[in-house]
Amino acid sequence: MKWLKKGSVILSSLMLTVAMTATGCSSSNNSGNANSLQASSGGDSAAGGLKPYEVVMVFPDAPQKDNELVQNAMNDYLKKTYPDMNVTVKLNPIDWGAWSDKTNLMMASGDKFDTIFTADWLGFQQEVTKGALLPLDDLLAKYGPDIEAVEKDYHDPAKRGGKLYGIHTHQELGGAQGIYLDKALVDKYKFDLSAFKSGKVEELEPMLKTIKENEPGITPLVMPSYPLDAYYSSGTLDQIGNLAALNVKDTAPDDFTVTNMYSTPRFMELAKMTNKWFKAGYLNKDALTPGLDAWKKIQAGQGFALVGDMDILANMEIGSVSKSPNGSLKAGREMLQIPLNVDRLQTGKMTATMQAISKTSKDPERAMMLLNLFFKDKNLLTLFNFGIEGTHYVLKDGQIALPDGKTNNDVGFYHDIMWQIGNQMLNYTRVGEDPNKYQNYEKFNALVSGNPSRIFGFVFDPEPVKNEMITIDNANKAFVDGIKSGQLDPEENLPKLLEKQKAAGADKVIAEAQKQLDAWRAANGK
Amino acid sequence: MSTQKRTHPLIIAVLSLFSLACLIPFWLVLMISIADEKEVLKHGYSFWPQKFSFVAYQFLAQDAEKILRAYGVSIFVTVIGVVVSLFVTSAMAFSMSRKDFPLRGALSIYILITMLFSGGLLPWYLVYTRFLHVQDTLLALIIPGLIGGFNVIIMRTFFTNSIPPSLIDSAQIDGASEYRTYFSIILPLSLPVMATIGLFITVSYWNDWFTSLVFIQNEKLFSLQYLLNKTLMNASFLQSIANKAYSSTAQVTQPLESIRMAMAMIAIGPLVLVFPFLQKYFVKGLTVGAVKG
Repeated sequence: MKWLKKGSVILSSLMLTVAMTATGCSSSNNSGNANSLQASSGGDSAAGGLKPYEVVMVFPDAPQKDNELVQNAMNDYLKKTYPDMNVTVKLNPIDWGAWSDKTNLMMASGDKFDTIFTADWLGFQQEVTKGALLPLDDLLAKYGPDIEAVEKDYHDPAKRGGKLYGIHTHQELGGAQGIYLDKALVDKYKFDLSAFKSGKVEELEPMLKTIKENEPGITPLVMPSYPLDAYYSSGTLDQIGNLAALNVKDTAPDDFTVTNMYSTPRFMELAKMTNKWFKAGYLNKDALTPGLDAWKKIQAGQGFALVGDMDILANMEIGSVSKSPNGSLKAGREMLQIPLNVDRLQTGKMTATMQAISKTSKDPERAMMLLNLFFKDKNLLTLFNFGIEGTHYVLKDGQIALPDGKTNNDVGFYHDIMWQIGNQMLNYTRVGEDPNKYQNYEKFNALVSGNPSRIFGFVFDPEPVKNEMITIDNANKAFVDGIKSGQLDPEENLPKLLEKQKAAGADKVIAEAQKQLDAWRAANGK
Repeated sequence: MSTQKRTHPLIIAVLSLFSLACLIPFWLVLMISIADEKEVLKHGYSFWPQKFSFVAYQFLAQDAEKILRAYGVSIFVTVIGVVVSLFVTSAMAFSMSRKDFPLRGALSIYILITMLFSGGLLPWYLVYTRFLHVQDTLLALIIPGLIGGFNVIIMRTFFTNSIPPSLIDSAQIDGASEYRTYFSIILPLSLPVMATIGLFITVSYWNDWFTSLVFIQNEKLFSLQYLLNKTLMNASFLQSIANKAYSSTAQVTQPLESIRMAMAMIAIGPLVLVFPFLQKYFVKGLTVGAVKG
């Protein structure tokens, strides 16, 4: 019986230990843990770049069944084509929904990984502030010649404190906003679309009226993707913060006065128009319902027009009417698109899709070399984007198609994350897309980059007015969506909004933006 | 005057309303899951769709392997988790209920602290990944849920209140070891509390998706709830970024409304079945402190 007693003591103490670990996470072991582990498991990075090294690539994507297969194929290819680099990759996709939780934990706990996708809308600024990303200037100069070849002029927006933290994907440099129309209805009523040459969204009104009167059950203009949102900001403003902006419509090119974007005459004009349309019943009343997808309404045959971002086609002149391939696909019927505004080269766009290198990378040089390959090597890029030829795709007339009898769901590797990495102009197009898509991009880019925003490269640091920004956001919540969707009368509510913003410290934000902008201009000789 | 006790009609009315409030959403989810997608797009959600379609379930059947696997993971984790957790929780609670246990006070304070303050996400993550190295294993889904401070307290109170110390004394005078006492005397007397806490734990294991999110990378180990949650979160996330990403190459594929609801229906399954079997134990009731009614 004695062994039992002894055994029970051990067993109970064991259980107690387990229980202690499971109940509470004493915080004593967190500080310093990350550092010490990093140091112990680190090892020296090879100076000559000849020791084998695995680059862990972190990016948002739904997990693919054949992830490992593709990863192995990429490694075989890298080994064969670039034996000097001696590098392998590990693909570490993270679900979109889990992205912020997981990456935050990875960064905070010092997990080892090398490249990571980042963007201003995914917390780029916070990642830089936290010190999770490495400055890239030197690495880029040494190991990124092919990145520099296409992206050299576009680095400024991703700089913080004078250092570069992200590498922009080489792709279209902006967008175009305009109107999508259901072609069947346009033909039925023989609408004259040449009026849009003026670039004014107002020209839509008579058509909406006709549809409203003759087509019960069809919403003339489906929202959200508010006309104001899609059309106002890019067409009229160089945006700085949540309300600070330069009004570039009808102002001199050397005018750098920061104003409140909600106070411009054009905003009032468009808000009044939206409100009028809302009252006339041209707009859907449920525009503010969360999760509402305007395209689905068109797909269900309940909508005629939609204002939003356009497909980039060969001809992107304002007012030119063309069939929209992507729009038609999404709506399940033929859709026309008419661009009314083409973006200027904006700071925000350049930080919307980037690759960065993690502070925890053991060999940032090799990570940069790999990133560079994505800007140079079509085969590697294709492997990453489309998988293995024959298994995950076949080439049909130079376009990517699914192998016979396969669908996106069962092919094992199918995703649309081409926009996350590398030089897009090297990519294949998918069957159904315009085979000249990337030539169109080139043309479009020439158009956009020829018209840079007055403040291209200026990055506003919101830190000094952080509290004001939050209060302003709260004030905006009460009015902005209502005004944009046309449900609030702007004559009555816009002054109220401006007053609330003022109370929340709008003037301080604008003054701060002006101060930073002037300093930037002085430093950059603008 | 009849001596038969009659339930007050008001109570019946209130309880009926309450039951309805529980059932109606359930019914709505069921109906959307078998409604024709086009109808949902056109008329929104309705309690009786004009057109039925089982497309959503057929679609899920195509994905059956993934779902069945996730089902398996969830069931395995729940069963093992509940058994082990009940054992550990009751062992801890029992020790704490014993007046002759020297660390009683210290342990109580320790438990109390875990109830009041959490270590935060990061230390929690570090303990399991750096100290226990359980990430990407089923253990990562089981261990974090093993002990809840509140459950321990409920059990301790039960043991203190319903098991007279003299019972333990007499068992030990008769020669029963600690284990014998625990398994043969205490456990049979504690079935109500076991059933109650067991249900709590079952629900928390079954509904848990966050641990999968944090620790599991391997698709084969995803739990059912995480699979469901993932589908929903990805959809809403993709929708919210569709415009921000600026890129026209970013195509958004949305899971259909009815498929989401069908997944919800599938995930509810076993839990609905568990409850009736445990229900009889609830009649007796439990108390956390003070006097039991």
